[in-house]
Amino acid sequence: MIAIYKKEIRTYFTQMVGYTFLAFLLLLMGMFFTFVNVFGQSGRFSEVLAAASILFFILVPILTMRLFSEEARHKTDQLLYTSPLSVMQIVLGKFFAAFSLFLMGVALTVIFPLILTRYAIHGLPVSQIAGSYIGFILIGACTIAVGMFISVLTDNQIIAAVATFAAIYVMFIMESIAMTMPVSAVASLVFVAALVLAVAGIWYYSTRHWLSSAVLAVLGVAVAVGLYFYNNLIYDAIIVRVLLWFSLYTRFHLLSFGILNLADLVYYASFAALFVYLTMNIIEKRRWR
Amino acid sequence: MIEVKNLTKQYGHHTAINDLNFSIDAGEIVGFLGPNGAGKTTTMNIMTGFIAATRGDVTINGLDIIAEPEEAKKQIGYLPDTPPVYGDMRVDEYLSFVADIKGVKRTGRKEMLTDIKQKLHIDDVSRRLIKNLSRGYRQRVGLAQAMVGRPRVIIMDEPTIGLDPKQIIEMREVVKGLGRYHTVILSSHIMQEVSAVCDRVMIINKGRIVAQGTPESLSHSLNKSAGKIQIRVKADATQVREALKEFTVIRHINVLESREAGTIDIELAGDEGVDIREPIFRCFAKNNLPLLLMKSMDLSLEEIFLTLTGDLRTQAMGYESPEEEVMQNDSDL
Repeated sequence: MIAIYKKEIRTYFTQMVGYTFLAFLLLLMGMFFTFVNVFGQSGRFSEVLAAASILFFILVPILTMRLFSEEARHKTDQLLYTSPLSVMQIVLGKFFAAFSLFLMGVALTVIFPLILTRYAIHGLPVSQIAGSYIGFILIGACTIAVGMFISVLTDNQIIAAVATFAAIYVMFIMESIAMTMPVSAVASLVFVAALVLAVAGIWYYSTRHWLSSAVLAVLGVAVAVGLYFYNNLIYDAIIVRVLLWFSLYTRFHLLSFGILNLADLVYYASFAALFVYLTMNIIEKRRWR
Repeated sequence: MIEVKNLTKQYGHHTAINDLNFSIDAGEIVGFLGPNGAGKTTTMNIMTGFIAATRGDVTINGLDIIAEPEEAKKQIGYLPDTPPVYGDMRVDEYLSFVADIKGVKRTGRKEMLTDIKQKLHIDDVSRRLIKNLSRGYRQRVGLAQAMVGRPRVIIMDEPTIGLDPKQIIEMREVVKGLGRYHTVILSSHIMQEVSAVCDRVMIINKGRIVAQGTPESLSHSLNKSAGKIQIRVKADATQVREALKEFTVIRHINVLESREAGTIDIELAGDEGVDIREPIFRCFAKNNLPLLLMKSMDLSLEEIFLTLTGDLRTQAMGYESPEEEVMQNDSDL
């Protein structure tokens, strides 16, 4: 894993990708800092971080688009997968390399709040800034995992970049999407039934066992309909709740108020872990295709 | 050393390799020969653990490639058809990265890498970026990568493709040298290459082994024109017929076209098991007809290959000149 990590870090800096990312991150943060803190004469650096976190959909593809697609394009993946390294070591090495570069950039931005301390007469809102930093880093880890997952799906870096851009953008506007969703119980029932059918479909796709899939689908829909007649309060605005639950940015608001919640930390960690796992899974599966 | 049992790989409904069985002993140099699309690369990709088989097992030195991948892969060095090199690394950086991922010990590593570089004559490009190297050098860096860690088995997919004739000869020498320490498997669709370096040849077509043996034994056992001899005589056809009249052991005379002014080429066959070379010489000497050339007409490996792999369309595909792929430089972001 260390070997892969070192190689990735070195590649970031021999291919200019690393410098591009760092320059871009610092430029954007500097701009926000100037507008919000300097011109606005405000000490609330958490607003800068909140604004910058929106820009993950541009920043993260720079980091992740080449991770696996470049290896596939140049057939160097054959070297990695025929070496004694396990898939997990390869994937984690790459993930941590991208994450480290991101952390490097974040570490450089600490200079902005440090500048602010010189001018803040009443002190800075430290807990809010710290919370925002934690949220910023966690969202970074999650979006990097998503970007890495997308990069393993294609050997074309441009496609990987655009798809990552789109995926992160959708996550960002998830809240707005959620707000436009119908809240009626019937709509919710349809949504749940669709979810159940989707799960059954995935089950069939991975097992090719139609009987168990059919049983799963029928039972799932039956339970959903039964619950609807038993107590349809459960269905109140369920679409909105589910979408908000999945939204990376909803949880960021709490963190930016300086509220550290264990559930949120677990959510972010498992979100990133899920996509790292899916990446490994795709690679393993591809060998058997 | 290497055991392959009932190996089958299907892509959907297409069967790439079909129930392959073979075993390879330590120190052997084995060549896979077959037209493009015969299943050579698929077989190698499975043996190295890059892809998994639909059915069947591969064991390397007693280690199953699926059950104990980490240990089994340590025994193998693999040079795929495209050398898996990173264009933006220097040769030295690349080789030490490979040593890292193969878990080669620090002690003695430098000596080993130097030794490999000298063997492959790439020590003069150690500090160059790989993307600036020529195809031949890149291929050798790829082979150096396979040799790192001194694996017991080295597998090479089309190692001479895209090389110039001098490099091909050098590569052959290198492969022969490898045979002293490593078990070597290489694939090719070029016969001379395989017959020049391999102890044993397996001819693969449409996912099956259609013949195997030493290059000589293959040539011998399949030689339909056994005992045929071609001669060139400074004479004309009637003189030759006259001279051969009294010659009873000759079963078959066939006058070929003349290749040299004033001479004639003839194909002769004696009775089975009779060496007719000396009688022919004496016969023509007696008649005062100078014999300029005499050679036996064994089937070349090429002809065997074509006989075994059958139809003409396969031939045409097998002999398409290997277009050199223009490698993209890593200039993307």
